[in-house]
Amino acid sequence: MKMRRQNKMLIEPPSVATGDIAFNLLVFFLVCASSQPDRGRKQDIPRSDPQQQQTEQSQNIEVSLTRTTVAIDGNVLPLPDFQSKLTEMLAAKPRPEDKIVVVKSTPDTPYDYWIAITERIDLAGGIVTLQLEEEQTTTTN
Amino acid sequence: MKVARRQFKVEVPSVAMGDIAFNLLVFFVILAKAQDDSHVKWQPASSAKVEASNKSVVSIAIDIHSKVFLNGQEIGLDQLTAAIEKRLGDAPAGQRTVMLKIDKQAQALKFEKVLASASEAGGEIVHILQENKETK
Repeated sequence: MKMRRQNKMLIEPPSVATGDIAFNLLVFFLVCASSQPDRGRKQDIPRSDPQQQQTEQSQNIEVSLTRTTVAIDGNVLPLPDFQSKLTEMLAAKPRPEDKIVVVKSTPDTPYDYWIAITERIDLAGGIVTLQLEEEQTTTTN
Repeated sequence: MKVARRQFKVEVPSVAMGDIAFNLLVFFVILAKAQDDSHVKWQPASSAKVEASNKSVVSIAIDIHSKVFLNGQEIGLDQLTAAIEKRLGDAPAGQRTVMLKIDKQAQALKFEKVLASASEAGGEIVHILQENKETK
């Protein structure tokens, strides 16, 4: 025979601390969100040997940047054609040391334009080299 | 006649111990962020391909006013190379990451010198960028 329970107790979860719990969860997720790793593009830049590089520069492709234009060896190109032209030029150079691309920027070249161009050089298989105003040269991979 | 004092049983409330421990944990996690450069205002440039960067001990930022910051502290370009070298110390390759947070409108006059300093100090550069699926 089935017995019916007589005493039904009303049990409520304690709701006093709900505010505290919500606040702690909020802080926890805020901290987690702010400590997420940054994302970006790696660029290994070894220490350079300016003397050796200056002797080799004459054979390297030179990319000149201004605020709005890009030129390969002095020939201004539209941005959509830049990567294909550079890929074509680099394909003719089998040795890795010939794939160095010297990037010369005018002082007012904005960073976002520089990033866009150097990304295309990387994709075309070139090795970016910076040429600063003081003729100091830095090679990047 | 002596009247016996009633002794009250006083206990430290232990119900909130968990909450206190948790709050302390969160507090120290925030403090542990050594390079707090959250006050530096900058707009990242965008790139089609970005990847998560390694943990770094050096973060260089150029803000919207072209001021240079090393780990959140403003610094002159002349002192940058030495300061990076000091922070990187003898760290082996793979642990010499230098994060660059450069405003997208910063000019080559400034950011190329920062790149050269990081290179000279033997840093492994990571440009912090915003992912953009559309290419220019």
